[in-house]
Order: sequence, then structure tokens, then C-alpha cells
Amino acid sequence: MLDSNVSVLKLRGILFVTVPAEPGDDLINHLQQKILESMEQHEAKGLILDISTVSALDSFFARTIVETAQMVGLMGGRTVISGMRPEVAITATQLGLSLGNILTALNMDRALDMLEGLEEEEWDR
Amino acid sequence: MLPDGTTHIDGEDDIVYVRKQVRDLASGIGFNLTDVTRIITAASELARNIYRYAGKGRMKYAVLHQRGAVGIELEFQDEGPGIADIPQAMEPGYTTSRGLGLGLPGSKRMMDEFHVWSEVGKGTIVTIRKWKRNN
Ligand SMILES: Nc1ncnc2c1ncn2[C@@H]1O[C@H](COP(=O)(O)OP(=O)(O)O)[C@@H](O)[C@H]1O
Ligand SMILES: [Mg+2]
Repeated sequence: MLDSNVSVLKLRGILFVTVPAEPGDDLINHLQQKILESMEQHEAKGLILDISTVSALDSFFARTIVETAQMVGLMGGRTVISGMRPEVAITATQLGLSLGNILTALNMDRALDMLEGLEEEEWDR
Repeated sequence: MLPDGTTHIDGEDDIVYVRKQVRDLASGIGFNLTDVTRIITAASELARNIYRYAGKGRMKYAVLHQRGAVGIELEFQDEGPGIADIPQAMEPGYTTSRGLGLGLPGSKRMMDEFHVWSEVGKGTIVTIRKWKRNN
């Protein structure tokens, strides 16, 4: 039942995940697990986590996102959070949340540019 | 106008329900989107604290009318263990559960009024208020 709410799409070595609106704790935990499994299974090099439908980010949810990005990092992938709504960004900042050094982008398109740009940089080195 | 009432907080699903209910209430009063988001976020933090630290409790909600101003009041009540040192619990980063320690101080920053009553062994009541800006 939880599974139907979460879809993980893989394109060109990158996982695309859209967080459902109003996710409960179970769903957030499930999402994290599913992302990590998919990272391993697809040997993905990056993750784009779209939160454009999320209308409020509380500290539990934010912590899970940061944790997930750290784990993805340990598996050799980069995470970009895309689509954070302005009012969510304002509120999150006021709450005192920090997304650590996770990259953020306006939308999935920009997030993809970002990940591909990073990859080129690594080639150049 | 909107009825005052009580919502029970017994499990994780109730946190989602509290968020939805607070959204309907706050947007119904006519708060702007950023304030609605602030109120939902604070309610989510405080409902989660009840679930996490007391197991269960309730949220009471009321629409306020004072000298022409309209506001919302949410009261989070539980009969859990209580908080021994409230100033310490209000410090950003202080947590007894490997949380981020932002729920109480963050909610205070986002609201216009914030009050904690607590007694060890009796329980905790956190009251928050937000007033609608008339612009
Ligand atoms: N309803 C409550 N009952 C008992 N203790 C509480 C309650 N709410 C908060 N606390 C205490 O205050 C601390 C700080 O709460 P909070 O700022 O929400 O951060 P966090 O939940 O991440 O620890 C908690 O770790 C807990 O010890
Ligand atoms: Mg908390």
C-alpha cells in the first residue's frame, strides 16, 4: 500500500523521486529505504529528490532528508533537492533547519543540469 | 464562524491529520500562505512532541477575535512525563531523543505568542497563537 505512493524512476544513472504531498512518518521512512535499495540496485550516481508537492517541512522530515543524502553520499552518489516552495524555504529557515551541504535546485530540470555539471567537472580533473 | 474543538493525538497518523486540520483552519481564517505554512509546521512539531514524549494527548483549537483582530490559538496538552527544565528544553539543539532539538524554539520563533506550562509527572501544555496581519 505504501509502495504505490512512492515511485523511483531511473534515467541516465540518476534516480528521480517525487515525495508525495503530506507524507506521514511511515511513508518518509519507507521512502528512505526504497531510495537506498534503488541506489544499490541501479548503481546510481545521483539522486534528485523533488519536494515540490510538500507544503510544510518539519524537523523530522528534514532530518530524514539530510540522513538519506548522507547515506547516498556514502554510496558514492550526490543528492539534489528540487522544487522547495518559497514558503517552505522561509519556514524551514525560521525553524532553524539546515540541509547541510545538500545541493538544492529550483526544479528537476535544473537539478539534472547540476548533477551532470558536477560529473563533467570530475572528468576535467 | 469556524467551530472550536479538540483533536486527539494517539499515533503517527494523527500528526498528518493535525497538519491537515490546521491547514484548513488557518487558510479558512485567511492567513497568507507563509503564515499558514508556519502554523502547520509548528503544529506538526508540537503534535510530534506529544506522540514522542507523552505517547498521547490532544490539540485544542480556537479562532480568536480581539479588538478587531483575528487569530488562531492551538493548545497541545498531554499527561506525559513533563519537562523538568523548560529553559533548557527551549534551547535550539537540546534534545533527549536524538531529534534536532528545534521543535520548541522553532515553534516559538514562528508564532506571535508561545507559552509552555509543564510539571514533572503531570504533563505539558504548549499554547501558541498567531494573529492575522491586516494588509
Ligand atoms: N510534550 C512533551 N513532554 C515531555 N517532554 C517534552 C515535550 N515536548 C518537548 N519535550 C522535551 O523538550 C526537548 C526539546 O523538544 P524539541 O525542541 O521539540 O526538540 P526534539 O523533539 O527534537 O528533541 C525534547 O527532547 C524533550 O526532552
Ligand atoms: Mg520535537
